[in-house]
Amino acid sequence: MTTLKIENLHVNVAGKEILKGVNLAVNTGEMHAIMGPNGTGKSTLSQTIMGHPAYEVTAGHIYLDGEDLLEQGVDERARAGLFLAMQYPSEIQGVTNAEFMRAAINARRPEDDQIGIMDFITQLDEKREFLSMSEEMADRYLNEGFSGGEKKRNEILQMMMVKPKIAILDEIDSGLDIDALKVVSRGVNSMRSPEFGTLMITHYQRLLDYIVPDYVHVMMGGKIVKTGGAEMAKKLEAEGYASLRDELGLNVSLTDEDVNEYVMGD
Amino acid sequence: MVKQANENLPMPVFEKVRYGPWRLENMSPSQSVDESKDLQENFLGLKVIGSTTTHHQLSADLVEAGVLLMNIKQAYQDYPELVKNLVGKVIERQSERLAANNYDQFNTGFFLYIPANVQIEPVMQVTLNQIADGQGDFIARVLVYVGENSQVKLLQRMRTVGNHASKASVVVEVLAQRGSRLTYANIDGFGPHTSAYINRQADILANAKVDWINASFNDGNTITRLASHVDGEGSVSHAKVATFSNRKQVQGFITEIQNTGRHSLGHIFQRGVILNSSALVFNGIGRIIKGAKGSDAQQESRVLMLSRRGRGEANPLLLIDENDVTAGHAASVGRVDEQQLYYLMSRGLPEKVARKLVIRGFIGEILSQMPTNRAQQDLIDAIERKLQYERV
Ligand SMILES: Nc1ncnc2c1ncn2[C@@H]1O[C@H](COP(=O)(O)OP(=O)(O)OP(=O)(O)O)[C@@H](O)[C@H]1O
Ligand SMILES: [Mg+2]
Repeated sequence: MTTLKIENLHVNVAGKEILKGVNLAVNTGEMHAIMGPNGTGKSTLSQTIMGHPAYEVTAGHIYLDGEDLLEQGVDERARAGLFLAMQYPSEIQGVTNAEFMRAAINARRPEDDQIGIMDFITQLDEKREFLSMSEEMADRYLNEGFSGGEKKRNEILQMMMVKPKIAILDEIDSGLDIDALKVVSRGVNSMRSPEFGTLMITHYQRLLDYIVPDYVHVMMGGKIVKTGGAEMAKKLEAEGYASLRDELGLNVSLTDEDVNEYVMGD
Repeated sequence: MVKQANENLPMPVFEKVRYGPWRLENMSPSQSVDESKDLQENFLGLKVIGSTTTHHQLSADLVEAGVLLMNIKQAYQDYPELVKNLVGKVIERQSERLAANNYDQFNTGFFLYIPANVQIEPVMQVTLNQIADGQGDFIARVLVYVGENSQVKLLQRMRTVGNHASKASVVVEVLAQRGSRLTYANIDGFGPHTSAYINRQADILANAKVDWINASFNDGNTITRLASHVDGEGSVSHAKVATFSNRKQVQGFITEIQNTGRHSLGHIFQRGVILNSSALVFNGIGRIIKGAKGSDAQQESRVLMLSRRGRGEANPLLLIDENDVTAGHAASVGRVDEQQLYYLMSRGLPEKVARKLVIRGFIGEILSQMPTNRAQQDLIDAIERKLQYERV
C-alpha cells in the first residue's frame, strides 16, 4: 500500500494565503473526492502536491510513503507514482502525443530497458480504443487544437499509460458531454485496484454516480471542513455550500451564496 | 567596368548587425566538382553538389506537362531565353551590392519552371550543397517560375560539405503567376565556417499564394533576407521563419512583405532561439503601399533567450500608406514557457528532456509545416544538434 499524506498544509500564491491548514490522507485502493466552491483552493492543493513552482508552501508537509515530497522536483514526484490530470492541460506543437507518452513511460524505466516501439504501440492502441479515441490522435501534436473534452480524455489516456499509484484528477468531468463522461469514468474505474488510489476534484455530483468514491471531502476557505461518504455529495448538491457552512458555523464568504434561495423560491 | 559599378552600389542594410568583417562583398566562385559518387537516390527533384548535378528525377507526366527542373548552368545552355527573362526580374541586379555580385558571379543553383495549369502533388525536393574545400566560395542563383493556376510544394535544402572557411551567396527569385500556389520550404544548414548571404524574394501576382517555411539552421554567420511582394488583387503570402543561433554565431534577418495589391494579405511569423554567446536580430517589415485597399499586414516575432550571454532583438516595423487596411504586430524576447515545462515534467520527464520538447514546441509552427516526415525529422535532429552545446 502507498499513502499520500498531507499535514497542516499552508500555501501562498502570489503572496496571498490560499491553503490554510489542509490535512488529508489517500491510500492506494481508495477513491476520494473533493468538492468545494470556486476559488477555494482545490486546484491550488493539487498543483502544490505536484510541485508547481508558483505555489509556495509556508508550513506543513506532503509525504508519499513517508518520503518528503516537498524535497523533490516535479518530475521526481511523478516518477515516484504521482499523477495530476490538470484542469487546463498545456498544448505543445511539434511534439506528438505518442512521442510524449513514450518519453513519459521511458522516464520510469532504466536506460537499458526502454520500452520497444511495438510494445508501446500495442499498449497505446489498447488504451486508446478503451477510451474511444481515434487512431490519428496518437500522431497529433500534444493537445494542440484539441477540444476541451478531447484534452480531458487525453489526460486519462496518459494516466492509463503511465500507471501512477496516486492520481489527482482536477475537474476531469468539466466540459464533457454525457457519453464522454461515461467513457472517462470507465477509464478511471479500469484503474481501480489495491495499487491505485485517486483524489478527484469535481463540482458535480453526477461524476460520483459513475466513479463512486469511498470518501467525499468538502473544502472551503482553504481547508477541508467536512469528510463523509458518497451520500454527502448528494446532500451538498441539494443544499449548497452555504447551508453546510452555516451548519458548521464557519466564517467564510461565498460569492454565489444566494443562489439556492432563488432556485428554491421560484 | 562591371566591377566598378558594383562597388558603387550600397551594401544591404541589416540594422544592428555588423557584418562588414565577414567580407561578403569579396567572393570568388568555387570551381570544385563533386567526386563523392553519392549513393543512388530516389526522390522527385534535383541534387547539386558544388556545381555538379548528382541526382535528377522528374516523372514522365511532369516532363510531358513541360515542367523543367535543372542545374542553372544547364538551364542557361538549354533555355537561354527563359532564364535571361527571369534572372534579375524579382531581385534587381542594382538593388544592392551583394545581389549584383551574385548576378555577375553565380555558377551554381537551379531552375524550376512550371507552365500554366500544372498541379504537382508530390513534394519537389532540391538539394544544393556547398563544397568547402578551400577553393572558392559558393555562389548560387535559384529561379522558380510557377505558371498561372499551377501548384507545387518545394523543399530546398542546403548544406556544407567540407570544413574550410568560406562564404556563400544564395539569391532566390520566385515569380508566382496569377492564381498559382507555391509552398517554398527550406532547411538552410551551412557549416560553422561558412559566412552566408541569403536573399529570397517572391513576386506574387493576383490571387496567387506563396508561403515561405524558412528553417534557417546555418551554423555560421548569416544575413538572411526574405521578402514577398503581394502585388495583385488578393495575393497572399505567409513568411514563417525559425532559427537557432548558437556558439558565437551572429545572424541578422529581414523578413518583409510589401502589400501593393488590393485585398492582399501578408503575414510574418518569426521564431528565434538564442544559445551560448550568439546574437540574433529579427527585423520584420510590413509595408502597405497607397492604393492597397483592404489589405492586411500582420507580424509576430518572438525570441527565446536561453543564455545570459546571448543577445537578441525582435524589431517590428509597419510602414502604412493607406487607410483602409488592417495591420498589427507583436514582438517579444522571453524565456522557456514554465507552464509547458511543468506539464511535461508532471508526467515524469526529466527537466532536460522536457526542456528540449518545450523548445521544439516554440518553433512547432514551422516544424509542423515542413512538407515531408523526413524533413520534420531532419529539423528535430537539427534542433538537437544546436542544443548540444548548451550547459543547463
Ligand atoms: N497562479 C496563480 N496566480 C494567482 N492567483 C492564483 C493562482 N492560482 C490560484 N490563484 C488564486 O487562488 C485562489 C484559489 O484558486 P484555485 O484555482 O485553487 O481554486 P479552485 O478551488 O480550484 O477553484 P475552481 O473551482 O474555480 O477551479 C483563487 O483566488 C485564485 O485566483
Ligand atoms: Mg480548480
